[in-house]
Amino acid sequence: MKITCLVVLFALSPFALGQTSETWVLTQSTLSYHMVHPVHTVDGVSHGARGKGICNAGTCEFLVAAPVKSFDSGDTNRDEHMIQVTRGAEFPIVSVRFRLPESAINSPTLDCDLEVQFAGNTAHYSHIPFQQTVQGNTHRITGTVPATLTDFKIPPPSFLTVPIKNEIPVKVDTTWQRQ
Amino acid sequence: MAVSPLGSKLFLATLLATTLTFAGVASAQSYSSSDAVSEISIAALPDAPSALLAQQQTPPKPQDQKQPAAQNPNQPSLSDLGLSNAPDPALQARLDKHTQMLKIHQRLGLITLIPMAAAVISSAGASAHHNGDQVTGGNTTSRDVHAALGGVTVAMYGATAYYAIAAPRIPESHVKGGIKVHKYLIYVHLPGMVLTPILGAMAFNQLNNGEKVHGIASAHAAVAWTTVASYTAAIVAVSWPIKL
Repeated sequence: MKITCLVVLFALSPFALGQTSETWVLTQSTLSYHMVHPVHTVDGVSHGARGKGICNAGTCEFLVAAPVKSFDSGDTNRDEHMIQVTRGAEFPIVSVRFRLPESAINSPTLDCDLEVQFAGNTAHYSHIPFQQTVQGNTHRITGTVPATLTDFKIPPPSFLTVPIKNEIPVKVDTTWQRQ
Repeated sequence: MAVSPLGSKLFLATLLATTLTFAGVASAQSYSSSDAVSEISIAALPDAPSALLAQQQTPPKPQDQKQPAAQNPNQPSLSDLGLSNAPDPALQARLDKHTQMLKIHQRLGLITLIPMAAAVISSAGASAHHNGDQVTGGNTTSRDVHAALGGVTVAMYGATAYYAIAAPRIPESHVKGGIKVHKYLIYVHLPGMVLTPILGAMAFNQLNNGEKVHGIASAHAAVAWTTVASYTAAIVAVSWPIKL
């Protein structure tokens, strides 16, 4: 009888009940910023992002991060200028954190509140819609972060003495796998 | 049914671990609730512009970026991703200097186009009139003006080049894009910028001596035009593709 009680007690203890965490890993990613200058437009692309998600107690915490220098616009000089103006040597990582309820993890549309750390500043973007397609264990999430230079206090870089536009939307295309 | 001493110890250890887990969760909850209280108390304060700005955008300390998820073990951290946020102030200083010098290079390069264009335009009046083998002088003032503008162009070009050459090099940079063409074109306009004034000086002396421009000096115009074309192409190369 005592043993039965012990087994029941142990089985009902929170130690045994919850705390089962689930991990998500970013397997593929394409992040691209779009920059507009009066005489030309530029897209800087990075495939160097890494990401991880941890689901626990009904909430999933995600982190996606990429080295600033991994963005390639097709021109060395421009990329160096981008790293300089975003203080990419002092703050070499751009990171995005967001939280999702575990129940929404398979939803075709994700409404995310993002916390973006970039260039030594943190900006928050609320209710950013992302589209999701689920194929088996693989989740592909796409969307656009409406970032601007002023969000991160970045002085607008200029070319031929003319500055670029303030808006630098970042397209996100990520593929996640449940582990 | 008797419970063995080992079983009792195991049970006690489990209970202890469970209690500690609860304590951890409770402290985390109290942390977030105190956080919420502080948020409410801040919200209750009068609207100070600085406070509003701080709420919208909080510049983190560099230390915050190094370990952003130290408090919450459920949050993934940069170290989980195998990434390091270690700053490199020396590289940043190098990049700042590099950009500053290249900005001056860019401005001087554009300004150099002005005396260059003026020298090209003034070249029309710099040539002498030929009457068979006789040279009738032409307008010597125009020739002097052309020579002076050429001199200014060469001096400005030298200053422009200095800021590109003296800019600190950035490691790990494999050159690609328009800047590559920009750099290749140096091999055309740099010798051109050296040769053009030399040939111009030779032509100038020959004309002033009443001679027809001859020998290598007769290549002055062709070399000058090649230099102007390659210099302009070098500017276009870093601006390409142009969308108007």
